[in-house]
This record gives sequence, structure tokens and C-alpha cells, in this order.
Amino acid sequence: MTAFAANAQTGKPADLADLSLEELANLEVTSVSRRAERLSDAPASIFVITGDDIRRSGATSIPEALRLAPNLEVARVDSRQYAISARGFNNTIANKLLVLIDGRTVYTPLFSGVFWDAQDTLLEDVDRIEVISGPGATLWGANAVNGVINVITRRAAETQGTLLVAGAGNLERAAAARQGGKLGVDGAFRVYGKVSDRDHTSRANGTSAQDSWDSGQAGFRADWGTAAGAFTLQGDAYRGTIDQAAPGDIRISGGNVLARWARQLSGGDRVQVQAYFDNTEREIPGTFGERLNIFDVEFQHALRVGSQHSVIWGGGYRRADDHVSNTAAVAFLPADRNLRWGNLFAQDEVALRGDELRLTLGAKAQSNPYTGTEFLPSARIAWKPDASRLVWSALSRAVRAPARLDRELFVPGQPPFFLAGGPDFRSEISKVLELGYRAQPSRRAWYSVTLFHSVDDRLRSLEPGPAGSLVIGNEMEGKSTGIEAWGSLQAAERWRLSAGLLALHQDLHLKPGSGDTTGVAAAGNDPKHQWNLRSSLDLPGRQEFDVMLRHVAPLPSPGVPGYTAVDARYAWHFERGLEVAVIAQNLFDRSHPEFGAAPTRSEIERGLFLKLRWSL
Amino acid sequence: MIFRLCALVASLAAMAPIPALAQAERTAAETQIKAAFLYKFSAFVEWPPKAFARPDSPFTIGVIGADELAADLEQIVKGRTVLERAVVVRRMRRGEPLAGIQMLFIGQAEAARLAEILAIAKGQSVLTVTESEDALSRGSMINFVFVDDKVRFDVALPEAERGLLKISARLLAVARKVVTSS
Repeated sequence: MTAFAANAQTGKPADLADLSLEELANLEVTSVSRRAERLSDAPASIFVITGDDIRRSGATSIPEALRLAPNLEVARVDSRQYAISARGFNNTIANKLLVLIDGRTVYTPLFSGVFWDAQDTLLEDVDRIEVISGPGATLWGANAVNGVINVITRRAAETQGTLLVAGAGNLERAAAARQGGKLGVDGAFRVYGKVSDRDHTSRANGTSAQDSWDSGQAGFRADWGTAAGAFTLQGDAYRGTIDQAAPGDIRISGGNVLARWARQLSGGDRVQVQAYFDNTEREIPGTFGERLNIFDVEFQHALRVGSQHSVIWGGGYRRADDHVSNTAAVAFLPADRNLRWGNLFAQDEVALRGDELRLTLGAKAQSNPYTGTEFLPSARIAWKPDASRLVWSALSRAVRAPARLDRELFVPGQPPFFLAGGPDFRSEISKVLELGYRAQPSRRAWYSVTLFHSVDDRLRSLEPGPAGSLVIGNEMEGKSTGIEAWGSLQAAERWRLSAGLLALHQDLHLKPGSGDTTGVAAAGNDPKHQWNLRSSLDLPGRQEFDVMLRHVAPLPSPGVPGYTAVDARYAWHFERGLEVAVIAQNLFDRSHPEFGAAPTRSEIERGLFLKLRWSL
Repeated sequence: MIFRLCALVASLAAMAPIPALAQAERTAAETQIKAAFLYKFSAFVEWPPKAFARPDSPFTIGVIGADELAADLEQIVKGRTVLERAVVVRRMRRGEPLAGIQMLFIGQAEAARLAEILAIAKGQSVLTVTESEDALSRGSMINFVFVDDKVRFDVALPEAERGLLKISARLLAVARKVVTSS
């Protein structure tokens, strides 16, 4: 046993060959090497947050886990709200990202952004979060202008048994349980439930923002079959209550159920059909209420044509029934709205010279209720001179179709309106050129660099309307140029270092005919640069020590000071699957603001959290 | 609250060294473990005589779409023999003929073209090993899977029998799952 341990520790493959089959089967895999995707062939700026990264970050929510992605701007607004974007235009109503959870689109047709307080799952069951910055519209959808966030949970067969998670800290408390089991010969299921309770945040002067909230969520997932014929059924239900100073608490609730069927055909072809129903309800007393039901169905067929072409084509239909309860403060008119979207897409990946040179051409035609059919083409080329290097470039046209907010928002809720939706508001258009390089110079190191330049047109502006009012228009344009870079180094057998950098230069301006007097600040509030450094250290005795240093440069308008925060985690693994972790966020900083205007904005405090995770 | 938390942390820290001593370090890189498995498999599988062109033909392991694993495997087989034959690791490209190959590993990088590659190996006396989800249903004989951060494998017996390969009961005993009918 001692010799076995010593051999395995040296990590020389030749020594491993002397182990028995049984001993090999009991070796634990070092987490770093599980990154099979570290030099993925995808010709896009893609960063993958693995389930293990999330565990080692100590994150307790999806938005907090997203801080791990160097190609995302993540700013916490208060106890429940976040401003999250890629490549600029960040805002609490940021609207150029497509966010999916297990294939279910979660941005709201209300403003084409995400209510982050309603998006949750059992983080322990997340397999990975793929973060693609840049246009992903051809394959994904109309809202994927600046990026796609794809949260993917594990198959039920990979989450068998019982898992108990509990944690408590100075800012929040949470508990969760999951049970997995078999279903017949080739099926498996899991059910989970979680509750959490978060304290209110405070302003710089120490007063409470009165935004404490408690929430609960339960869900299930069942998978049957194999790739030859696989079927997935999953669903979630949640509710939450958020404190509000006056006139009453905010209530959110919702539920969804999704079915996916995939079948492998002869010759490697594959078809997939997915359908889901999603209900979300939100009651913000004094502001508005909403009841939204979405039905979505999509079809995909992947096939090989000849020896050179890998084709994917498909289509989708989406229908939303939205009912808004208007208030004196704000109204969406008409209050009830049925919205329909349809799309058809095709993509052909052509192997020009085997695997060495691949050209991907794609196009999507997407119809929306406001501007009819939009055309979203893209061309990507990838050159892989050898197994450890990839050069890629892409040219895309992406479209942010109008949301209800652009056309149907009215402030106040009764005429005369001070602000009115633009009846002629058109889609925002973005044309993007990207150039990327990924390399793995040694077995211990890899990195990725992406340069991007986008030309944005018909961005949202506020134009003068009748009698001193404002009407939403499309009179802003601009250019964004930037760099996204990240890499990882296995500095020692048990020590991994990772770093990420994002730098952005935006030049936005109003078109000559515009009468907008609020300026370009409304388009977003972005740092010129941000970076992070991560260290993951495995210590003897199955202990782990993780530190993340992250810096965000100042935000211009409204001004938010730049900040540097240190997050740390120390964990012990005991026998029988018990893990105990101590997590600190903003370790050396009592509190700092990340978004919003002083003095009413919330400060994000130092957080200490003790977490127990027990897999039985 | 914070004081209580600190006290709890301190008591946990004090407990930590005990399991630390009891716990042997048993970790290695994934590709190394898989490479070691590939080498070990050769001892638990019986190939028909026609699988080798000549009595002195080397035992050849083809690797597609897994350069790192191929490098690990090359280290392992250095100076070792299989069935009293020299061992050769051949890094292959998709579409290359499988003549003279006794074992073929298809890495995750080629997962999308798995069915295509496996179709070529079908019915031949080539032990096919994969690391892709649901690969067995696409015609692979042995497929690596992750279970609790460990590398395990599933075996599809009918596919192996079709290639006239006999897999020993000892290998099957270590498999996570053995598929006996297609």
C-alpha cells in the first residue's frame, strides 16, 4: 500500500502500469487534468467553468460562480440583483446576453435581460458553465449579441445517492439536499430541494437597503436510454420573498418542465427535439407585477455530408403569454401581450484540409413580433497547425431584437407620459470581427487570447417626444475594441495558477440627428479593464486552499471606484464523503460598491461562510 | 455570530491532521491512468492469431485524438512487452487504415466522429477503447467513465465477440458495467 501511494504520487505513468486493475480503478484523478476542453477546437472565445471550479470558488449562486469567467463583467448590485454582461454594455437591464440553463432560455422578453434572483439550480449538480463571449447568434438565438452563458447540469446517472449541503455565514444561510436513484434498466433520476436566506445589504452610510430575501427551490431530472435513443425530463419550481421598504415585499415564483429527446441515426447523424414550458411570476408592489408563460420547442439535425461537411440545421418556435399588472409609476401597454418567435438555421463545418483547416459557415433567420425576420450570418475559420495550437477568426452579424421595454414601456403609468416606448424602435445591430489564438506550449500550461472589434448600430437612445417627453429610439452608434485573455499553469503537481484579463475600449456616440440629452451612459457602465488571479492548492491530508484575487477598474458613469477583492477558501475532506469548507469573500475589505449611484447604492460586505457538504 | 464561526473553524482546523495521516495520497492525472489501463487491458484480452500479420509483429496500439495520452502511453510501454511482443504506440489520424493495429483508443477530441471511426473497426479484431458518453451504444468495446473522480470503464461484450476477442473474467470484474446483449 505504501509503495502504491508513493508510486502514484510521483505521477510517472510508467509506475502506474505496475498497479493492478483494481488499484488503477481506485486512483483519484487530479482535478486539473479533467479539463478535457482546455484546448477545445471551438473557433470562439469560450471559457468553461467546471463544476469543480465552482466548488473550489465557494460560490453559493450562479451569478457569483460567473465571476470565475474572465470574459464576463459581473457586478453585484445588492442582495439579489446583478449587472452581468460581456464585452461592455453592462447594466441591471443588460440585454445582449443569451443565458440558458440546460437548454432553457432564461432571459425575459420584458427587457431581453435576466432576472438573476430567479435563476438557480443545485450548484453541486452543475457539470459546467460554458461562457462564450461574442456573437453566438447563428446557433443559439437572437439575443446572443455579446455572449452566451450555458449552464449545464450533470445527467441524473452522474448524481446518484444522497447529497446534503448546509452552510451559514454572516451574510447568508443555506441548506440543500439531493437524492438520486435508478429508474428501470437504463434510467436514472434525481430530486433536489434547497432553501436560502440572505441578509439585507447596507449603504455607505450604514443604513439598511432593506433587501433581505429568502427563497426555496425544488426540482428533478430523469434521464433514460443511451445516445442511440435518449430521453430527458426535468423541471424546477421556486419561490422567493424579498424585503422592500414600502409598500410591501417583492414576491417571485415560477416553475418549468422540459423534455428532450435525442436519437443517434446511422452514420453518426443525430436528431434532437426539445420542448419546455416556463412560468415566471413577479410582484413588485408599487412598481409592477408580471405573469409570464413561455412555451418553446426546437428541433436539430446533425449530419455528415460526404467526407468534408458536418452540417447542423434546425428550427424553433417560441411563444410567450405575458400579463403585466401596471401601476401608477410604470406601465407596459398593452398590459397583455402574446409574443411569437420562430427561427430556422443551418451551419456547415467544412474540413478544408482534414482537421488542420476548418471553415464554418452559418446563418439563422429569426422572426420576432416587432421587426419581422432578422438575418444572422456568421463565418468562422480555424487553423490548427498542430495538436497544441489553434488560430481562429470569425465575422458575425448579431441582432438584439426589440423587447417589450423598447416598444411598450410608459412612465408614469397614466398619460401624460414622461417616457414612452418607441413604436418604431428597430433591432440593434452588431457586426463583429474576432481573432483568437489558443495554445498549450507545454503539458503544464495553456492560454487563450481573443481580440475583438464590433461596430454597433441603432443602439437604444432617448429621443425628444411631444411636450417635453422622451421616446425610445435607435439613435446611438459606436465601436468597441477589446482583448480577452486567460491561461492556466500547473506550477507544481498540486498547485494550479490561473489568470484572466479583460480590456475594453468603447467609443459610443449619438447620431447627428439625435436629440438625446442623457448621453451614452445609459448604454452601459463598464470598467476599462479587469483581471483576476486564482491559485488552487491541494495540501496533504486532502485539504484544499484556494485564493482568488480580482480587480475591477473604476466605472465611469455613475462613478464607482475601482476595487480589488480577495476571496479565499480552505477545505478539509474527511472519510465517507464529508467536506468542510471555510469561505471568505472580500477578505481584506470591509465593504465596497460594485454598481449603481452613490449614496443610495448598496455596498458589498465582507462575507464569511462555513459550508458542509456530505455525499452519502 | 462571527465569534462563534471562528471558534468552530478553529476546532475544525485542530481536527484536520488526524485524517491527514490516515489518508494516503492516491491521485494521478487522468491521461496517465487511462494510458496505464490501456496497457493493462492487453493482458486480459485474447486476440485471435490472425490479428497479427507475422509471429514477430509488434503489439500495436493506435491512438486517435488524444496526443497527451499517447505521450503517456509511449512512456509506459518503453521497454515492456505484451504477449511476448514488442509494443508500439501509433498516433493515427481519422481515416487511416487499421491494418496491424490490435488496440485502438479514440479520444474525446474525436467524439463527434466516433461512429464514423468505429464503423471502420467493426468486425475487426481490434479492441476499441473510448472515453465518450454513450460510446458503447455506438459500437465501442470498452468505454472509460468518471465515477467519483475515479476512472472506471464499461465493457460491451457482444461487440468484442464480433471481433473474435475474448475478454477475461478478471477484467470484467473490475468493469463498472458489462453489457451482455446488444
